[in-house]
Amino acid sequence: MNTGESKTITGDLTRDREAIRALLPAEDIFTFDFTDGTGRQFVCFFADALTDKDLLSQQVFAPLQHTKTAAEARSVQEAVRAPEVRTEQDFETLADEVLAGNPVLLWEGAREALILGTKKVPLRTIAEPPTDVAIKGPREGFIEDVKTNSALVRKRLKTGELMMDTMTVGRRSQTAVMVCYLKGTCRDGVVKAVKEKLEAIDIDAVPDSSYLTRFLSDRPYSLVKQVGTTEKPDIFCAKLAEGRVGLLVDGSPIALTLPYMLVEDFQSGEDYFVPAFRATFMRLLRLFALIVAIYLPAFYVSAQLFKLQLLPVKLLLTIAGSIRDIPLSPSLEMLLVLLVLEVLNEASIRMPKYVGMALSVVGALVLGETAVNAGFVSTPAIIIIAFSGIGLYAVPNLIEETSIVRFAMLLAAGSVGTFGIILLTAFILIYLVSTENFGVPLAAPFAPFYGRDMRDALVKYNLHSLKTRPAALKSPNKRRLK
Amino acid sequence: MKIKRFLAALPGKLCLLIVAAVILIFFSNDFGLVDIQKTAIVLAVGIDRDGEDFALTAQIAVPKGSDRTTGGTSSVEIEGRGATVPDCIADIYAKTGWVPKLVFCNLVLLGESAVQADVFSCLDFFLRNEYIPNSCQLAACEGSAGEMLSSQSAIDDTSALALSKLFSDAAKKSGYVMTTTLREFAVGYYGVSGSGYMPYVRAQTKEGGSGGADSSGGGTGSSGDSEESGAQEQKVYSAEETAIFSGGRLAAVLPREQTFAFSLLEGNVYTGSFQADGQTYVVLKNSGSVGLELSDVPMATLSLELRVQLYGTREASPPEEIAKSMLTPEQEARAEEVLTGYLSDLWDSCVQTGCDLFELRTKLYRTSLAEYGKWKDSILSAAVKIETSVKSVS
Amino acid sequence: MKLGSRQILFFLAAVAPVGKLILLPPQLAAVAGNDLLYPVLAQIAVQAALIFCVLLLSRRERTVYAMLEGSIGGVGAKIVTWALVLFLLYTSFMPLVEQKLLVQSIFYDTIPSYIVFAPFFLLAAYLCSRPLACTGRIWDILAPLSLFGMAGILLFSVGEADYGAILPVGAAGLPGFSGGVMRTCAWFFDAALLLPFVGRFDYKKGLAWKGAVCYLAGGAVLLFFLATFYGVFSDISVIQVFAFAKMSHFFAGLTVLGRIDYLFIFALAFVMVFYTALPVHGAVQLVADGFPAGKWLPALLSVGANGVLLALLFFFNFDADNILSAVTGNVFWLIPAIGAAFILLLLLFYGRRRHEN
Repeated sequence: MNTGESKTITGDLTRDREAIRALLPAEDIFTFDFTDGTGRQFVCFFADALTDKDLLSQQVFAPLQHTKTAAEARSVQEAVRAPEVRTEQDFETLADEVLAGNPVLLWEGAREALILGTKKVPLRTIAEPPTDVAIKGPREGFIEDVKTNSALVRKRLKTGELMMDTMTVGRRSQTAVMVCYLKGTCRDGVVKAVKEKLEAIDIDAVPDSSYLTRFLSDRPYSLVKQVGTTEKPDIFCAKLAEGRVGLLVDGSPIALTLPYMLVEDFQSGEDYFVPAFRATFMRLLRLFALIVAIYLPAFYVSAQLFKLQLLPVKLLLTIAGSIRDIPLSPSLEMLLVLLVLEVLNEASIRMPKYVGMALSVVGALVLGETAVNAGFVSTPAIIIIAFSGIGLYAVPNLIEETSIVRFAMLLAAGSVGTFGIILLTAFILIYLVSTENFGVPLAAPFAPFYGRDMRDALVKYNLHSLKTRPAALKSPNKRRLK
Repeated sequence: MKIKRFLAALPGKLCLLIVAAVILIFFSNDFGLVDIQKTAIVLAVGIDRDGEDFALTAQIAVPKGSDRTTGGTSSVEIEGRGATVPDCIADIYAKTGWVPKLVFCNLVLLGESAVQADVFSCLDFFLRNEYIPNSCQLAACEGSAGEMLSSQSAIDDTSALALSKLFSDAAKKSGYVMTTTLREFAVGYYGVSGSGYMPYVRAQTKEGGSGGADSSGGGTGSSGDSEESGAQEQKVYSAEETAIFSGGRLAAVLPREQTFAFSLLEGNVYTGSFQADGQTYVVLKNSGSVGLELSDVPMATLSLELRVQLYGTREASPPEEIAKSMLTPEQEARAEEVLTGYLSDLWDSCVQTGCDLFELRTKLYRTSLAEYGKWKDSILSAAVKIETSVKSVS
Repeated sequence: MKLGSRQILFFLAAVAPVGKLILLPPQLAAVAGNDLLYPVLAQIAVQAALIFCVLLLSRRERTVYAMLEGSIGGVGAKIVTWALVLFLLYTSFMPLVEQKLLVQSIFYDTIPSYIVFAPFFLLAAYLCSRPLACTGRIWDILAPLSLFGMAGILLFSVGEADYGAILPVGAAGLPGFSGGVMRTCAWFFDAALLLPFVGRFDYKKGLAWKGAVCYLAGGAVLLFFLATFYGVFSDISVIQVFAFAKMSHFFAGLTVLGRIDYLFIFALAFVMVFYTALPVHGAVQLVADGFPAGKWLPALLSVGANGVLLALLFFFNFDADNILSAVTGNVFWLIPAIGAAFILLLLLFYGRRRHEN
């Protein structure tokens, strides 16, 4: 809170009430006046929608009304039956607590107010996150409540080494951010650096954890993400156990993990619940799909414009036949189809489900078929884009980046050809290898090469072989399997 | 401060400039590029000589459009003329407006007139051009190469594709075709042997055949279409003979038997067959070599070792013998005699024409420079020893 | 950021040989014929010895400029550094010309516009503005890529190679050998390329030996490549420019699989892009060492150096023959002589300094 001058409780109930009311003028902040067994005047401030009024009545009002209390906070505290009670003098802090859902209790002659932990935030139930569905493995997902999320983590890591330091970010939102790490496993420097970066954030509101990612990145304007994300507590805990720092942000089901390495997005939680050969196969498949998604449209255009030999002659003749009556150049044709795909994709996500379903059918069947029949685009172009579109979703966490890179590749291919593709790939490689976050290279364990870490990179070794934590993270406690 | 601010903003501005330039180039889309729509995909070329000039016939694949209900590949033959091969190609460009792309050219067919002079006066262009693969097949043909490419094949709509079937690996295993690529031929030509070979193609009219490849079921939609192509005679090609070259000129055309003997020496044959006394011997295992011994005088050795199976025997044999396909010593001797005759004829052809088909000069050169200097001119008249061994498979 | 000693070894074993696959084989075949292996063997041996020396220099973990400054003072160090920079820029000409010709040949079906090569300088400028350690990390990626490309091309080519073609030994005689050595000098400056890296990686025990052995191992692969090249093309090797992109074309399996050999060719072409930019990158970093003027200096220098090279190539009107005949012709001795002189000079200073300590 940044309104008004900082004041503390005076003991004069009228003045104290006015002071808090001045800080909380909103109509949904209710007050409740009552007296105790001695006739002492009490007043309780609470936020209408965020407080469990039944609980408040049972644990606070009812006992106090039948008890003779003294003016001291300890006396009142003993009278109430709420398990989570704290004292505070500062008006601003008290007002913040009311806004957070915790009622504040004042009384005549009080030098301190009581903060009552009877918050009741509307929560959705814990469910499997839609972006990270697992066939095998836990199905729990984080929700928007940081306390619930921390409980999901604590449930899985029952150790005193698990630290959960709470910080507040956002001048107005006062969003609770929980910095989680395993003491002795996570590098102290990383924890310190994360906390420093969080403290340095001066923003008015943090509606979601994604707001923090830009502040936590060493290259905030980068196209490439530098903070890991997950919606699943099991993955979150696994990352903590590897020596990373995790951030749980109130109001967001997406937890952040740091430091981030690109290879993480090729790993899936399920990889650890299936045999190693299967996990390896799936990881290689994901890489292949991503390569296809990025490069296929570009090479297709490059082949048609500059280097026919990239295509087998029979395929080339088929393509030549298909595009004979197309008015657009191969590069423009591909760009058009790609744009249509992106628009369809965007629209189908945003639209209500029932319309979305219809839209996808319209997009896939009617638009595609009609466009081909009308001679706007060729059938091979649609097939290429369909392959590419599907491939992109094999690594869902990188869609934002790869989608843009795909466009860039297409531009490079349409302008300079295969050499353009190679140069752009080289540019991306230079960019990736020179990006670090919290001292950990983004492209590790490939560049720099960490031999041992390769056992859980694109190739997944059996669990017995994964004896050490990722060397790139420089954990003080290197061994995880004895 | 101003400079610092300018420098700080520079990378972003530069990036924008670059992106703008790339987008501009993308949409203007021209680096003098020749895209697929302006391209003539040349599948094969036929070269003939007309006095000092060349006539180059390019067989160009024609896309059939998006309607893929019919299979096969259509083609059209365009002829260009000029003093050199590049002139001919430029002539085709001028006539059609298509840029002939030779990256898919997999056959260079040399007409009778072209092989009488040094073939590298035209092949050199293909060899040195970075955009033509050196792996393309070479063949000589009876009559005009242009006419042969333009003829209607009974096997495929496109004569080049029908011809390429003759030069396939499977066909090579029969032993009755000896194929070569531009690279192999050039290596022989520019090497100390100065010799080479290529298959010699003849076209025969298919008896009672009309209606093009439609009846073959392989492909439809020929270049001429409908009545015109129906009226054209259908041709069946054969490449059982081999043209041998010395100094880049045609030295001789080896008949079928000598081609077979040459194939056996190269060790190519598997399931090829030959006849002796009315019986058919099928080669199931073949090893052959050409050796050169240097004692006092050089002596060439042509060795063959075959495992064969006998077919077409008329005499009754016990079942176990039939099962084992055993050869009698007489049969073995007779087969060896026949093959020795083939090899002997082959050797004679080479000696008479001065073609170092067996690369004896190369062998001599690699063995010893001194011996090479001594014998390089007379090596083809060296004595020859022919060793053949024919045994049954079992 | 510091380089790892492993990255240096990767460069020597897997990246350095790739820079010799474009014009060197036919140039060498033109002079030495079937004896093409021996001049290269001699060059590799000399470079391995020089690499041993350069890696010994790195034991003190001081940059070349710091070493020079400590021995001959600031002014002298600046003069020598500039000389080394000019030398590196000179050595960059051959790879640049090769790269340009390669791009025109293997990435296009018809001769493209000259301008298509210009974007390379954009990439080079960006790379040069990065620290050298970044290049070290790139080598971690390039090494397996290079092995993949080389192995694929050799695998597809060995079946077509007649290794007897490299016989008889000594056919080209001494003139062939000496001519081969002279003609190939322009491609062998790998030891000098390492000079900008000195002091930027931790010296581990035995690194000098390991470096020399790795270079010899890479050299062995190069020799095998050359033997295969001559085995495939024999007497027409002289006209087989960009041999690595053509050798694998004769593999019978390609008729079934299509041109999958392009995977290997593009992999090697990708490695070559970085090899081509390396001399300029080293030069930029040397200047940045000697003339520290803020973090913008490498970026400005890299843009400047690459701009100059681009202008020079345009000045020569992209005439590869002129550049080629200049660098491999009468002044062939420039690269080996100056390269060796720098290394030996530094070794001398290194010894003196150690003695003083």
